[in-house]
Amino acid sequence: MTAPTRQEEPPVLAAADVHPLTLAVVRHKLEAIAEEMVQTMTRTCFSPHLNQSQDFSGVILDGAARTLAQAERVPIHMGAMPEAIRGMAAGIDDVAPGDVLMANDPYWGGSHLLDVTLAKPVFAGERVAFWIALRAHQGDIGGISAGGYSPDAREVVQEGLRLPPVKLVERGVLREDVLRMVAANSRKSEELRGDVLAELAAVDRGAERVEAVLRRYGARQIERCVEAILDAGEAVMRREIGNWRPGTYHGVGSLELGDRDGGQLDLPVSVTIEDDRAVVDFSACPDQVEFYVNSPLANTRAAVLVAFQYLGEDRRTQNDGSLRAIDVITRRGSVLDPVAPAPVAACTVLTASAIIEAVLKAVTDAAPDAVIGGFARRFRFAIAGRDRRGRTFIWHQFFNRGGAGANLRHDGWSNLGVIHNPGGTPSPSIERTEASYPLRIEEYALRPDSGGRGRRRGGLGGVFRMRWIGERPAIFNATGEGCRIAPYGVAGGEPGALNDIRIVREDGEQLVLDGRAHGIALVDGDEIVCHSAGGGGCGDPAQRPVDAIARDRAYGYVTAR
Amino acid sequence: MLIGTDIGGTFTDVVVMHPERGLLTAKSPSTPDDPSRGVVDGLTLVARELDVELRELLSGVTLFIHGTTVATNILVERKGARLGLVTTRGFRDLLELRDGTKSDRYNLRTPFAEPLVARPARREVGERTLYDGTVAEALDDAEVGDVLAELRADGVEGLVVCFLHAHRNPAHETAVRTLARQGDWRPYVSLSHEILGREGEYDRLSTTTVNAYVGPGLDRYLRRLDERLADAGLGVPLLVMQSSGGVLPVADAAKRAVGAVTSGPAGGAMAGAMLARASAAPLAVTYDMGGTSTDVGLIEDGEPLERGRTDVDELRLAVRAVDIAALGTGGGSIASIDAGGILELGPESAGAVPGPACYGRGGTRPTLTDANLVLGYVSPQTFLGGRMPLSVDAAVRAVQEEVAGPLGLDVEEAALAINALANSRVAEGIRQATVRRGFDPRDFTLIAFGGAGGIHADAVARELSIPTVLIPREASVLSALGMLAADVRHDLEATVGVPLAELTRENLLEAFEPLAATARERLRGSGFGDERIAFRCFLQCRYERQVYTVDVPFDVAELDDGDASFVARRFEARYRELYGHSHGDELAIADMLRVSGRGLLDPLALPDAPPAAAVGEPRATRPIRLARETVEAPVHWFDDLGAGAELAGPAVVDSASTSIVVLPGSRATVDVRGSLVIEPGATA
Repeated sequence: MTAPTRQEEPPVLAAADVHPLTLAVVRHKLEAIAEEMVQTMTRTCFSPHLNQSQDFSGVILDGAARTLAQAERVPIHMGAMPEAIRGMAAGIDDVAPGDVLMANDPYWGGSHLLDVTLAKPVFAGERVAFWIALRAHQGDIGGISAGGYSPDAREVVQEGLRLPPVKLVERGVLREDVLRMVAANSRKSEELRGDVLAELAAVDRGAERVEAVLRRYGARQIERCVEAILDAGEAVMRREIGNWRPGTYHGVGSLELGDRDGGQLDLPVSVTIEDDRAVVDFSACPDQVEFYVNSPLANTRAAVLVAFQYLGEDRRTQNDGSLRAIDVITRRGSVLDPVAPAPVAACTVLTASAIIEAVLKAVTDAAPDAVIGGFARRFRFAIAGRDRRGRTFIWHQFFNRGGAGANLRHDGWSNLGVIHNPGGTPSPSIERTEASYPLRIEEYALRPDSGGRGRRRGGLGGVFRMRWIGERPAIFNATGEGCRIAPYGVAGGEPGALNDIRIVREDGEQLVLDGRAHGIALVDGDEIVCHSAGGGGCGDPAQRPVDAIARDRAYGYVTAR
Repeated sequence: MLIGTDIGGTFTDVVVMHPERGLLTAKSPSTPDDPSRGVVDGLTLVARELDVELRELLSGVTLFIHGTTVATNILVERKGARLGLVTTRGFRDLLELRDGTKSDRYNLRTPFAEPLVARPARREVGERTLYDGTVAEALDDAEVGDVLAELRADGVEGLVVCFLHAHRNPAHETAVRTLARQGDWRPYVSLSHEILGREGEYDRLSTTTVNAYVGPGLDRYLRRLDERLADAGLGVPLLVMQSSGGVLPVADAAKRAVGAVTSGPAGGAMAGAMLARASAAPLAVTYDMGGTSTDVGLIEDGEPLERGRTDVDELRLAVRAVDIAALGTGGGSIASIDAGGILELGPESAGAVPGPACYGRGGTRPTLTDANLVLGYVSPQTFLGGRMPLSVDAAVRAVQEEVAGPLGLDVEEAALAINALANSRVAEGIRQATVRRGFDPRDFTLIAFGGAGGIHADAVARELSIPTVLIPREASVLSALGMLAADVRHDLEATVGVPLAELTRENLLEAFEPLAATARERLRGSGFGDERIAFRCFLQCRYERQVYTVDVPFDVAELDDGDASFVARRFEARYRELYGHSHGDELAIADMLRVSGRGLLDPLALPDAPPAAAVGEPRATRPIRLARETVEAPVHWFDDLGAGAELAGPAVVDSASTSIVVLPGSRATVDVRGSLVIEPGATA
């Protein structure tokens, strides 16, 4: 796609490395191409969970696997790709034009096994000039539990199929044998196959368009653009950090289910701000555990970047250059830089949340304007039973997320939840739920008094009451956190309320659940009562403006406490 | 005689299709304090041009269509009615809980999006209808009475009633309205099942709430306009433009106020559709580049593509709307050097006030319009028909100081860079709008309008390898003109909820008949005979485990042979078209039936342009800066170019409302309707 104006492109100025016109347009093109990859994926992916929740990201990296542009739909994908692509490039030494590599192995630069990444090289002569990559969360990749998150896994091999880098496409020819082998290892073979092919369509599209940009502007100009784009990302991050107070700060993020026995695992971090750079040191973190919360290095770095992203104002210039301003130090063999065979499935959700919180807490004193209270943790549960037609189903809870933390200027958002992916997948409809399953929802409302007190109040959690009205018993399984550790308050603010999930039997018996409640039988009439956590408050509650206090009372956000 | 009026932020446009005089247009300043005044002012201008009294002009009108942003402004400025909500016990907070998401998930410090009904005015009553429409708990009239009395005492003017599963059984909602009107209270009442007759409580509640929020204000405004026009001699009912591109009689429009909230771009989309039909382009993309943004819309087989849902400031509007993608690039977009030292355009805009630096109204920042002026693409003399001389010096100064200087470029190179970035943004925006729908942009005709559309059209088409560009002559009043191409339209929905494999003719007719009867009754009420009533049917289908549905169009006549199995095949084909595959083994469901009842209005016949006297001689020349050199380009005046006129780039075509740049290597001709058709130079 070479427009005739191309030959008329002004010559590169002697004084500058790259013409500003070319630079501005190339940067915009790369961003647009990443977005087009994601659109292509949305349009062609197979499984319902992918085209609804868009749990995938498209990334354009340079030949050295440095991110230049990305269209991410899930924050934690943002910073994780360079490691993954480097791992893939290192694993295959005869990469040729027309190849597409595939990998998911946490110990080859991946995050967890469910995230399957495809990467296609774009060549300039003999050299790889770009990597076009797409990562998508697959519905099932084998392992001891469907869907991949098993608290029972002791080793990564129990979590599913490990894919060190392989060629999915070799010089333009799809390796059907490889795809068949991967699909055969999934409980949802056909969906996995369709979704991997959709990923392939997306990287092909991205590569085709990046090749056109390369042809139009030439390798030399593009190379200079790449350096300038990365420099710009670095400059923005350095300027941000340069505004912070120098010093060394400490924070701790906690996993309340940190090991197989349900014990708490603390993740301490020290963040040192020196001039315009930050050193984020996790080396004091405990040894890896035989439990799914270990976070491979790529995921740890990605979570740190998400935290810095939340702290900054300017997200548009985000790229690999931004990470040059941040050193992440980990200790090999620790929970945040594990070695095989540690299991890792929960790293992108539970551990990522704890890492983000640890960094945000630490930086509170360095960047007081950016402080934000803790967010509700995810507590998900599923009900497996039979519908009115006698067909089996599994219902996943996507209602009632919990509150978001407050900041210096505003109260937190109600019903937003989870710091690793605020908002996340939209809640389904109550009416659809009742029409499809033998479930009756009796209340879905704000939970008064759940937001942490402060000058700015934490967002409210919710109350969600739902009754099982199926003829035959159903099975209730939970996985989640936030029942023991509350979303923290900041700058004198108070913590939000805890998640409180219980099953109330018709005879009045109450079962208070924790985040690993498993295999509980529900019978007709049993009610699940789910109070989600509130966000942490910000600032001294005594300084809350009187009109805000009056409004909280009048609106019933706060009752008599 | 047909009249279309469109109230914009700055101007109120009036378009008159006169049986003898053809197309007449007038622009008068908008009058925000009472927008109906601006309409009458514009009509008076046209009457004067025809040398008749306003009363005489209006008495000859057979069709009067009106587009207004009153509802939009009420919502955006949050100046709507004081609302009260009556809802099912246990669910008063649904509006505030939303669907649990937030539009910008990275920016964690934005203020919470306050719902339109404050919590104390959200009242619960005991009642419960189940998913199949059976009543598990009856409505307690006494309790409802108490709640209504309290809401009235609180000064509520808009009453929202939304109960769970009311789309299945509306009895309780209807009962509340009856109770509310028993005394002398006359609030504006919106029942959720009437505003949106389908499953999905949050969509229904939010849409109904917006309806009641903007309804009283829109109702007052329309009444005033209607009275004013009737007093002035208008003898036909006023029709009001809807977001869908259809129109509704004034009384229906006031009840379904939410339908007007995103109606702003509908007129332009209908005009684009009309032009696409006239030039027999099966696929067209319209791009309307204005001061602050660019609206991109797609036209397939002469109809604008629609969507069923729009989110505005975290509020959900589940109404049919032409599917316009708004890009944040317009003539007023400000060029700057970002924190990383790279040239950026927008998202900041100078808007109309202070406007681009060259306007001389106090703006000092360099905008896209300034860059285009520096390049010679915009004429400093003929801008806005010469009413507003532009300052080249001010444009040069702004571009020099904020872009050229910091980047070490000369001012023309800097302006070129700004122009090129705008081309890239518009081209990529169009690419995404097409790709998202499963189309290839190369199959499209580009229809460009709006003040800045013609400047970038050729370059944008080249980037996308689009073979044909069409720039209509009536660009400045196109939106008002497009309204005249609309039909009266009632969109109604009903739940079907049957697996496609089991779907029968009877299922479809059972759902269709009541909807058709309602639409027919309303259309007859507006004076349409059965021969001018048409129905379009869409079955909204999905695979069981998906949320999003795919519209499967069909005609009731197709059911005549007793078989409905074609629907399943059509769904699969449509799905494959959109997504590149289908799921043979998955259970597919027919969710909803949507019936669009149309009252067909007389089709608008665009007048032909006079033929070219001669191959248009340019009026003048002016230097324009191209990528590598400056050339002295011939300057044509659009009105001089009759049908059949031809010209070759480089050239500029100026008109009172826009400038068009024809690049070297491109050819342009004027078609029978007077539109300029550009064939962009060779694209690879």
